[in-house]
Amino acid sequence: MEIRPILSALLRSKTGAILVALQVAISLAILTNALHIVSVRQAVAARPSGIAGESSVFHIRVRHLVEGSHQEQLARQQAETRALRAIGGVLSAAFVNQAPMSQSGWSSSVAPSRTAGDDIPSAAMYYSSDSLVKTWGLELVQGRDLKPEDVLDIDGNTAPDDLFPKAVLVTRALADKLWPGGGDAVGKTLYFGSGEEANSATVVGVIGTLQTQGAEVAARGAYSLIVPMRKTFSSTMYAVRSDAGQQERVMKEADAALRASNQGRAIVTSKTVGADREQRYQADVALSWMLIAVSVLLLLITASGIVGMASLWVTQRRKQIGVRRALGARRVDILRYFITENFMITSVGVVGGVLASIALNQLLVSKLEMERLPLAYLVAGAGVFWGLGVAAVYGPAWRAASISPATATRSA
Amino acid sequence: MFSYYFMLGVRSLRRNPALTALMVLTLAIGVAASVSTLTILHVMSSNPIPQKSERLFVPKIDNGPLEGFNPQGEDRSDPQSTYIDAANFLKSGQGERRTVLYSVSAPLEPERKDLPVMAVKGLALTRDFFPMMEVPFLHGQPWSEADERAGADVVVLSLALAEKLFGAADPVGKRIRLMDAQFQVVGVLKPWRPVPKFYKLIGGGSFGVEEEIILPFATALRHETSPEGSVSCRGRAEPGWQGFLDSECTWLQVFFETRTGADRAGLQDYLDNYAAEQRKLGRLKRKQPNRLFDVMQWLEFRKVVANDSRLSAWLAFGFLLLCLVNTVGLLLAKFSVRASEVGIRRALGASRREIFRQFLTETAVIGLAGGVLGLVLAFGALALIGMQSKQLKVAAHMDWQMLGLTVLMSLGAAMLAGLLPTWRACQVTPAMQLKSQ
Repeated sequence: MEIRPILSALLRSKTGAILVALQVAISLAILTNALHIVSVRQAVAARPSGIAGESSVFHIRVRHLVEGSHQEQLARQQAETRALRAIGGVLSAAFVNQAPMSQSGWSSSVAPSRTAGDDIPSAAMYYSSDSLVKTWGLELVQGRDLKPEDVLDIDGNTAPDDLFPKAVLVTRALADKLWPGGGDAVGKTLYFGSGEEANSATVVGVIGTLQTQGAEVAARGAYSLIVPMRKTFSSTMYAVRSDAGQQERVMKEADAALRASNQGRAIVTSKTVGADREQRYQADVALSWMLIAVSVLLLLITASGIVGMASLWVTQRRKQIGVRRALGARRVDILRYFITENFMITSVGVVGGVLASIALNQLLVSKLEMERLPLAYLVAGAGVFWGLGVAAVYGPAWRAASISPATATRSA
Repeated sequence: MFSYYFMLGVRSLRRNPALTALMVLTLAIGVAASVSTLTILHVMSSNPIPQKSERLFVPKIDNGPLEGFNPQGEDRSDPQSTYIDAANFLKSGQGERRTVLYSVSAPLEPERKDLPVMAVKGLALTRDFFPMMEVPFLHGQPWSEADERAGADVVVLSLALAEKLFGAADPVGKRIRLMDAQFQVVGVLKPWRPVPKFYKLIGGGSFGVEEEIILPFATALRHETSPEGSVSCRGRAEPGWQGFLDSECTWLQVFFETRTGADRAGLQDYLDNYAAEQRKLGRLKRKQPNRLFDVMQWLEFRKVVANDSRLSAWLAFGFLLLCLVNTVGLLLAKFSVRASEVGIRRALGASRREIFRQFLTETAVIGLAGGVLGLVLAFGALALIGMQSKQLKVAAHMDWQMLGLTVLMSLGAAMLAGLLPTWRACQVTPAMQLKSQ
């Protein structure tokens, strides 16, 4: 092949070639890292919360203007639960203190023993007096669900701190963290905090997935537990599962029912699981779109750069091309010349770009706690830019090939 | 000569229109991307109270239990204060002023029957807060010292809430029904929204919305108003509200203001002595260093600037770099076809310096065009970013500083990109060009 003459021609006028190679390198470095971040963020945002059929579940919160005594609050809670269950299309309603992905709520540190030390995980504490396994559609992988007889009513104002339920459900992830080795967690004792005074409870069942209220990306985003407890506050929340497709109507009716049940002396707000999910991942989704937009622009700008430079070279070499054609070069030879030349330049850019990708990724990993770039992105990125190079140069090269041999006889 | 070159530059925008448009667009996109991400970074990391950020301090002591404590491990203690410590700090008389605050949410029953009962959000704090944070009042003033001591049912409203409840009239002296009690309105704030929300960085976001109500701390305690923000409890508490106050739960944010920045050492001494005293009483068993943060250190400690914003800014600058390289190439292309023009001018006696000036001015015109277009794009990009969330909306505001920077950046970028092509254009030897004509 005619690589040697192309190379020596390139080496004589390096500036343009260097600029194109530099563009390819910068684009490749940014593109691979940007798309990798997009895929990581989208995977994070797509994680299951543990709630089955999220579009059929919402949470409704009632805040009473007057707090009232523990007994009054219990009575109100029962009346509200009844009112919710009476709505047509409600499959299940459960009192609960917080919702996954809602970004505020209760956590507690939990330990496998009283002397476990400071490095014990913090887990989301879901309280409920009903079955969340049923209302949220959680998967029970071991043991049993909580039963009504496990439930303890606690008066936040008078109950001593050591009054605590004796049975809990934990997620698979939390069980594996507390008792590594993948053994049976059912029957094990769990401590809330460490030290002599820590409350304890027995694990009666293990559930598959239930994200915490924070839905953190780190492992602790899956450390949750459910405690069979009814603690009274001035504000009470219920999880409601409706028939598929009935959610909007059920939400409206639930709002009206709870207002009516409190004679208007309450503030009622409701929120769907979908809305919680959207808010939790808003930043990730926004960043993804920004990076996708940047990637498209990168490709466009790099392509325009290649087209621009190649057009320039064609214009500059009109006379030489004419001479070559007059001396017997076929169109395809001219076409091949420009494509080969561009391929060589792009290759230099791709090699530089791969190195720059790795360097940029290193920087992101060390300074901004991002993830390491898999090799596949480099390979795919290199392929994209080789393809882009050839596609971008094809137009100018075709124009070069169309130059007639007669040009050779004209002056520049 | 400059204005003539400038005119030439404007006119040459029309020469090679496709190439020129591409250059202007490339520059504009690069500049818009970097300016919009930089704006967000700039706002997020700006000093919300520059006149006294070095005189406002947040104290932090570690009250965690000794069980399983690892002194070498990561500091997992909560940077908020217990009620015990906050009350002692308030009584200490340290610094010029001191305050304690926490978030509350209270049910409000409007007198106007067309408004439903609603939950309003705000803060419970002591009256020193207002002069400390330089909170602007529209009507009225902070509650009196007597009200503060008595825990009277008085409240300061945001302008938005006051207008919702009372219209445009001055509501000072009127009553509102909050938490099932009558509260007297003593003041209305002007719109007040420091960014970041440095006075309350824990629980509820660093760029959160305005406070609707502000109550005296003692009043909130008297009503047993539980905190809306984060509460971290270690160790056991007695039941009920008093048990909560006496517990080692941390839930309050404390600020000291000193007369000068140099009084910091004195405050640190007080904090160390205080911690030693508490240790004698059997608390603070971990013997961790007691820390004091000024406002900027506090923002840094709470990681107010998100890594995502830094990432966006870095990538945007990488993108700008690409746009620059691209512009260099396009300018080379644009100038190289004008070798004969340069040859004739040189032959007619123009010096290299003159050619250099002419071409650089022409580049500047392109830069200016790119800057103006970039500005428009940046406004669009910021509006788009602002739509993403309330938090970003607060941060996505372009100020005059950033506006100037946009234009300067584009001009600078274009000139930088123009240097090489211009230099190459100057290298044209007149003889060669004339000969080939």
